[in-house]
Amino acid sequence: MNSQLVYLAYGVAALVALGVYVGLPKEGRCSRRGWVLFALIAALGGLAVLLNRLLSLGADHISFYVLAVLCVGGAIRVVTHPRPVYSALFFVLVVLTAAGLIILVGAEFLGIALVIVYAGAVLVTYVFVIMLSQQSPALDGESASVLNYDRSARRPVWTSLAGFVLMATLVGVVVERDWPSWDEAAASEMAKQNTLAVGRMLMTDYAVSVELAGVLLMVAMIGAIAVARKRLPRGGRDSAGLPPGEIGKHVPPY
Amino acid sequence: MPHPNTLMIIGALLFGLGVIGFLSRRNMIVMFLSTEVMFQGVLVNLVAMGMMHGNLQGQMLGLFVLVIAAVEAGLGLAIVVMMYRRVGTLDAEAWRQMRG
Repeated sequence: MNSQLVYLAYGVAALVALGVYVGLPKEGRCSRRGWVLFALIAALGGLAVLLNRLLSLGADHISFYVLAVLCVGGAIRVVTHPRPVYSALFFVLVVLTAAGLIILVGAEFLGIALVIVYAGAVLVTYVFVIMLSQQSPALDGESASVLNYDRSARRPVWTSLAGFVLMATLVGVVVERDWPSWDEAAASEMAKQNTLAVGRMLMTDYAVSVELAGVLLMVAMIGAIAVARKRLPRGGRDSAGLPPGEIGKHVPPY
Repeated sequence: MPHPNTLMIIGALLFGLGVIGFLSRRNMIVMFLSTEVMFQGVLVNLVAMGMMHGNLQGQMLGLFVLVIAAVEAGLGLAIVVMMYRRVGTLDAEAWRQMRG
């Protein structure tokens, strides 16, 4: 039914993939990358607005457009930024904008849970791991502070192409298919009681699943502790003479 | 309220971007971040589809996907820390011998 929209959707997917390709770190890159990326994101935003406009939307969803463009642009930057810390920070942007999108369509409980769990807990874990495992390279130049495996992506052409094919297929299917009709009035009526309804459903229909999720979280916590700990020697005879910061460094990983 | 199809497009783009990042980056932490981006796409899609059918099942499944994502982040990052201790680098190419 939307045969001309499909090509527009392919165009959006191609632009996004091109943006990722341009942005992926490569050895010996010129420094105009940021501007090219910015232009691509702007073009993407324009296309997204056009696409949404064509998909039976009015012009009164400015916040939706802004959130959508920020979300996709932030995701591009997560994937392409050469420094992992900035990737993690851009991922916070993606989480916040995705939560905004979810809240905008009425799923307020899930949106707030997303902010708490992702932007609060998971991101702190990521930042801790980045701090624990980031080496400090020799600072003899401007780009020397970026590690060499962050400076060159693995086969950027082919991965961007694969991503383009995947995105174009998914977006094309979304645009092309005849989805069941959507009742906006009923949806906004349902959104008014969202947290109440979700809580009631969680505690009645999904009570066993909630318990299982709790068990799963505890098992994962114990597993993570068991995997990531260091084996200290028993008795502590050889670590007795070391200063406190040096004790863990002389233990071989098991 | 925006149409669910538009949300599905955002979800599809997020998922594809995560796939690109997982395939192309060499830093293991960024690879895991890309999987989290994929999770975001799936979540947005679940909410949109639940909305389209006019019930809360999509949001419920999204909540449990959130739990699984948290578990995955904890365990995966523990494994990343262990691998970093073993080879001293975060480069995924350092585990080339696992290709077989």
